Amino acid sequence: MKLIKLVKRVTALLLTVSALAVLCAGCGNGGEGSAEADTVLGSGRSVLRIISGSENAELEPVLEKFAQQEKIRIEMTYKGSLDIMRLLGEEEIPYDAVWPASSLWLSVGDEAHRVKHAESVSISPVVFGIRQSLAKELGFVGREVSVRDLLAAIQSGKLRFCMTSATQSNSGASAYIGFLYALLGNPEVITAQNLQSEELKTQMRELLSGVERSSGSSDWLKDMFLEGDYDAMVNYECLMIEANRELEERGEETLYVVYPYDGLSLADSPLGYVDQGDDGQEELFLKLQEYLLSGEIQNEIQRTGRRTGYTGVSEENMDVFRADWGLQPERVLSPIKMPAADVLFECLNLYQTDFKKPSLNVYCLDYSGSMSGKGNEQLVEAMEQLLIQENARQNFLQASQDEVNILIPFSGEVIDTYTAVGNGSQLEALYDRVKDQQVGGGTDMYAAAVRGLELLKEYDLTQYTPAIILLTDGQSGGSFYEFEDAYMELGAEIPVFSIMFGDADETQLEELANYTNARVFDGRENLTEAFRSVKGYN
Amino acid sequence: MKTKLIGLGILAAVVVAAVVYVAVSRSRTVTEISGYVGGEKIGLLEDEEVQEILRDRYRLTIDYAKAGSIDMITADASGRDFLFPSNQTALELYEQINGKPVKSEIILNTPIVLYTRSAVADALVAEGIASETEGVCYVDMEKLTEAIETGKTWADIGLPQLYGSITVGTTDPTKSNSGNMFAGLLANTLCGGVANESSLPEILPRLKSIFQKLGYMESSSSDLFDQFLKTGMGAKPLIAGYENQLLEFAAEDPATWEQVKEDIVMLYPTPTVWSSHVYIALDEKGTAGIDALLDEDIQRLAWEKHGFRTGVYDTPSAGEHFGVPGLAEEITQVAPMPDADTMDQIIKAL
Repeated sequence: MKLIKLVKRVTALLLTVSALAVLCAGCGNGGEGSAEADTVLGSGRSVLRIISGSENAELEPVLEKFAQQEKIRIEMTYKGSLDIMRLLGEEEIPYDAVWPASSLWLSVGDEAHRVKHAESVSISPVVFGIRQSLAKELGFVGREVSVRDLLAAIQSGKLRFCMTSATQSNSGASAYIGFLYALLGNPEVITAQNLQSEELKTQMRELLSGVERSSGSSDWLKDMFLEGDYDAMVNYECLMIEANRELEERGEETLYVVYPYDGLSLADSPLGYVDQGDDGQEELFLKLQEYLLSGEIQNEIQRTGRRTGYTGVSEENMDVFRADWGLQPERVLSPIKMPAADVLFECLNLYQTDFKKPSLNVYCLDYSGSMSGKGNEQLVEAMEQLLIQENARQNFLQASQDEVNILIPFSGEVIDTYTAVGNGSQLEALYDRVKDQQVGGGTDMYAAAVRGLELLKEYDLTQYTPAIILLTDGQSGGSFYEFEDAYMELGAEIPVFSIMFGDADETQLEELANYTNARVFDGRENLTEAFRSVKGYN
Repeated sequence: MKTKLIGLGILAAVVVAAVVYVAVSRSRTVTEISGYVGGEKIGLLEDEEVQEILRDRYRLTIDYAKAGSIDMITADASGRDFLFPSNQTALELYEQINGKPVKSEIILNTPIVLYTRSAVADALVAEGIASETEGVCYVDMEKLTEAIETGKTWADIGLPQLYGSITVGTTDPTKSNSGNMFAGLLANTLCGGVANESSLPEILPRLKSIFQKLGYMESSSSDLFDQFLKTGMGAKPLIAGYENQLLEFAAEDPATWEQVKEDIVMLYPTPTVWSSHVYIALDEKGTAGIDALLDEDIQRLAWEKHGFRTGVYDTPSAGEHFGVPGLAEEITQVAPMPDADTMDQIIKAL
């Protein structure tokens, strides 16, 4: 009898083993592949989902090689470092790995200690890139430059620049902290008391009034810079090299890189594993990390203009860090100290509410018949996150006192227009309009955008960062040429960001984005997320 | 008939083999224990040889989440079997909050040291802040603290390529052990002995202003050390860490160490303090980790591959194999850490 029992048990065991083997064919398949990834590299059943700063988009070829070698998929989702920090505070983290620009955001965000194996992949300082001729004119070539020197050039109106939003992206935040130090007279470290000064407010506003365009991500800032006609930008050294390669190829003037000695910060690009208890994923992650940190790949990464390894830029890669572009591969990078976390957040809040140039947002929102039901519900929810200030503050998207928000609900024609000034009751009342507006009729986004441009004529646009934010869910009637005429008439570069929803026609939206040097956000998966991102750009 | 018998015989053999297999595999069941571990010990726990000994001799695997030594005491410990902080103060704090743990034991020891680059070390020697005796570099804590308190800049001591004033980069003393112990060491230095509650009114404000100058601080010793190595002299000219961190790095990656060793200098503070890595078992299951980690071979590996001085405070065997110049054979100048209540007040003030 006993024997039979044992045989049964063994059989059961064998069955279990084979069943497990079958199951395991689907193992290491880190959950459902999220449709939201920005880029999918390689193919295979196993997936490594990485949420990363946009600057790492330049490393896709390196990642793709690994994905192919291992026959896996790598899904890259690009978000600002601050978004990544916030994500780490959430209950669910739908990624296997995080790769923000700087370890600062990792250690501030990872309060639940879920990130392990974090290691720096490469280093890149945040620097100023200024058109060669202008850099020469300003006397910045071949000498040490301080943040004060840059400020003087900005104050005199000679230097205008692009930088990412300090509350959304690491490069913008780093540069902004550098500005704070300089304006405060280079204290040992910034304290909460320092920030209360009225003088600081006046000076910082003046400084940030020199910002021509902003963006929620560093890589897109570089792309925007290359599309537009700007004099300078604040960005990572590696993206300056990338931009210069492109500029040189086009035969255009390159940027001269300036390292402000009293306002420098470093992005150390840590790649860390989000431990959710899946050993297979952990192993895969470690394999990727080992690959990225191997001598060969570190060298390849160095050739993209990132500083890697322990011994600085190698002799053979010196040609990447060109002296005629102002690059100093052998420079001792001595950064400023980041303030303590609570002070840092205070700095970011002040940037959003008091210091940055006020935004002038024109929301053109689709209320056509096809939006009825779910679509409209999602729209109202998304706008609630932006307009109700308590919600907006969670994502450092709160409005400033002087901010202007215009609402243009449209269907086949413009339904109405509403304007809210500041961050008080007018703004929250705008939300009631969004909520109460009835849906129905056709779609003509061009008519709404044209009305938006007309309304902008009433403002001194140099005092604002203006943008049209357009949401539509269908093929639009009307015509692009109508929009083009109105745009020419206004004669100012107003980016038209659009959010693609429902059955929107991507080509129509891309046309608008290309024409106005803006970009299209995909709101089909998560509309709230798309609105948040778009607001981060303005 | 014969074939039938043979058939039965084979069947019996298969069954017996299966029974043996089931029995053996049962006795081999490996228990997984999980807990919070200070980042500096991860190399040891990830060591395959160590894992093998744990598995084969003790049928144990150790899963961990990284946490600062102080942080882990107050963190949510549900589902965890042990804590493995890097000092005894953490144990004392634990006892104050939760009472006596199921079991606790010191597993490893390593002194707090400072790490710097050769150019900085030379400048510190020239200033009389550091000195070299028999190939080992020592830093005079009193003089160093004075330089920090008076706001001397790196440029003042002949290092104009470094921005700002002289500081020692540490982890956040309220979260992580090496920073916490360095705060204890500074407290001792400021009062010229071992700091206690009566010396606090005098030293707390000074301690606070020293740490305030650091701004944002990393919460893990291993991250700080990694940044020290990778971001170069400019970003982290002088940091506090554990002696074992460099020894482990040199043992794990001798090729890289060979490239950078000329430039990296380990400085022993006089006096220094011991970081005693104490294992706190939170439940019965967790106690198994203590015996296992005290295994003779694990202790040997802990020194040879990871640089932890074990059992006794001096080196269990000579450390030549590390190829780290300036490794002190004995640590003679050691002061005790301030007691837990004093440290608690220091942490609260910082």
